[in-house]
Amino acid sequence: MALLEINHVFKFFGGLAANSDIVCSVEKGMIMGLIGPNGSGKTTLFNCITGYYPPSKGDIIFNGKRLNGLHPDRICKLGMARTWQKVRPLAKLTVLENVMVGALARTNSLKVARKAAMEQLRLMGMERRADFLAGGLPIGERKKLEVGRVLATQPELLLLDEVMGGLNSVESEEIINLILDIKKRGLTQMVIEHDMKAIMRISDRVVVLNSGEKLAEGTPQQVVHNPAVITAYLGDANLA
Amino acid sequence: MPRILAKARGFTVLAPLPILLLVAALVAFPRLVASPYALHMMILLFLSVAMGESWNVIGGYCGQYSVGHAAYFGVGSYATLMLLQYKHLAPWWGVWIAIAAALVVSLVIGSICFRLRGPYFVLASIAVAEIIRLIVLNWKQFTNGAEGILLVDIPPLKLGQTVITDWLAKTPFYYLGLALALTTLLVNYLVQHSKLGYCLQAIREDQDAAHSLGINPAFYKNVALAISAIFTALSGVFYGLYIGFIDPASVLAVDLSVQMVLICIIGGIGTNFGPVVGALVLVPLSEALRSNLFSKLLFTAGLVKETSRLGAFLKENLAHAHVLIYGILVVVVILFMPDGVLGFTKKLLARGARPLSPKPSPLVGGLDGPA
Repeated sequence: MALLEINHVFKFFGGLAANSDIVCSVEKGMIMGLIGPNGSGKTTLFNCITGYYPPSKGDIIFNGKRLNGLHPDRICKLGMARTWQKVRPLAKLTVLENVMVGALARTNSLKVARKAAMEQLRLMGMERRADFLAGGLPIGERKKLEVGRVLATQPELLLLDEVMGGLNSVESEEIINLILDIKKRGLTQMVIEHDMKAIMRISDRVVVLNSGEKLAEGTPQQVVHNPAVITAYLGDANLA
Repeated sequence: MPRILAKARGFTVLAPLPILLLVAALVAFPRLVASPYALHMMILLFLSVAMGESWNVIGGYCGQYSVGHAAYFGVGSYATLMLLQYKHLAPWWGVWIAIAAALVVSLVIGSICFRLRGPYFVLASIAVAEIIRLIVLNWKQFTNGAEGILLVDIPPLKLGQTVITDWLAKTPFYYLGLALALTTLLVNYLVQHSKLGYCLQAIREDQDAAHSLGINPAFYKNVALAISAIFTALSGVFYGLYIGFIDPASVLAVDLSVQMVLICIIGGIGTNFGPVVGALVLVPLSEALRSNLFSKLLFTAGLVKETSRLGAFLKENLAHAHVLIYGILVVVVILFMPDGVLGFTKKLLARGARPLSPKPSPLVGGLDGPA
């Protein structure tokens, strides 16, 4: 059984269908890339999965449990964690404390949380930054901190929303290595990304959204050669 | 990791010593100083500290700027004094009912107001407090309305046959106030050094991010408000017993709510000792204004002649200008010391001690813009 199943999910904002009839499933241990032009409903789908919006129709099933109507904090405790397209550091807390807040999802002891957070920072090579205020970090490290913080909640499934957005190539490379490293640890990931090169490298499967609908699904190679996808991204060649 | 822990521990190991000395000095104070005026000032200071520290739990750590805390203060003082005056229930029993009442009010207010965020929450908190003030003001048969409640006497506190205190002097109130202030300080310390504190701060910094990290914002906000309301109510009980007279204008007014916020903002919001510093600034200031100290100072310094027209004007009006001066003070603090007097002093000290305080090395990529 798939770790995450999205069964005919619709999300309406008034008359606008931001997601319409999305069907896909994410197998354990894989990286699922989620791509699509701006406004195609990728982040809305993330918001539906993680409980920020209840889906208007359809089911989201995680580990055999139906998530519809659960709040984000409950969903986090079930083992699903997300990052945000626009980073949300807890600016006046230190880097260590940011990760500790994540770790506290699994423990009531500050001591245990501090230890887990420090371990997490060490794994990511950020332990030198532990005492810095999160708000003062450069963007690349803020994005890394965001991933570290959700990893500290010990998720089975990570939803990464454009973690490479706004990064230079060196920083992107670091994040790609981080994502592949997370995969090696056996965690499942769903990744929204605009950088096609990165998506091609990391994804096992790719789902393409367009105007709220699922346009295509397959391996990265299948998807980039799919004429419908090319049309959605570049326009119809025959019309030119 | 050892480095950070060592740093944190060094702080906690060093900190208790001066604090213990200070507490010892405060305990000895009434034995050394007989002046009732000095005791009165200290009692007011303790009350302000308790009020500020109580507000700090919800406003400072959780970032929910409630400007309706007079509701809990008033409910606490009214519950205790009405039970004492009409039912002859001793205040040390009545205080539990006051706490329960404040808890209920806080849960009702919390469940209504925490649906809103930011400025909308602030407005809702003011509105709910005003509703309570108007109810107390107009429900004359029950609360005695605008005439308020005048406390005739407090029954003596006895342990067996020995009378511990008959509440006639200021000293018992001094110790009660000291205990209250220290308790609220301890509560803030415990909140800050617990999971609760981290969750509250995460909500303050970014509620959505906190929510996605497994924190239930509604639950934690209500817990913080309940803690805050209980100790605000205790401050109200203390005020009522000490002053001996309460009416809606003195214990349920918006001014009072604003004052709790100001103590924290001026001292240093969201810190353990910020409200203490705020009270140390505000209590002497308001007392100096009340006793017209500033115009007297101007006259003795020879800056303004007492007989001149300006002198007469200042003598007449400066004492009434405390709201104006509070306002100016708040503007100055917000503009020049956004972390309050405490944060500002710390920054100055840090600059003096270590000119090269932690700054990311430029090689790693410096700060991109202000935090």
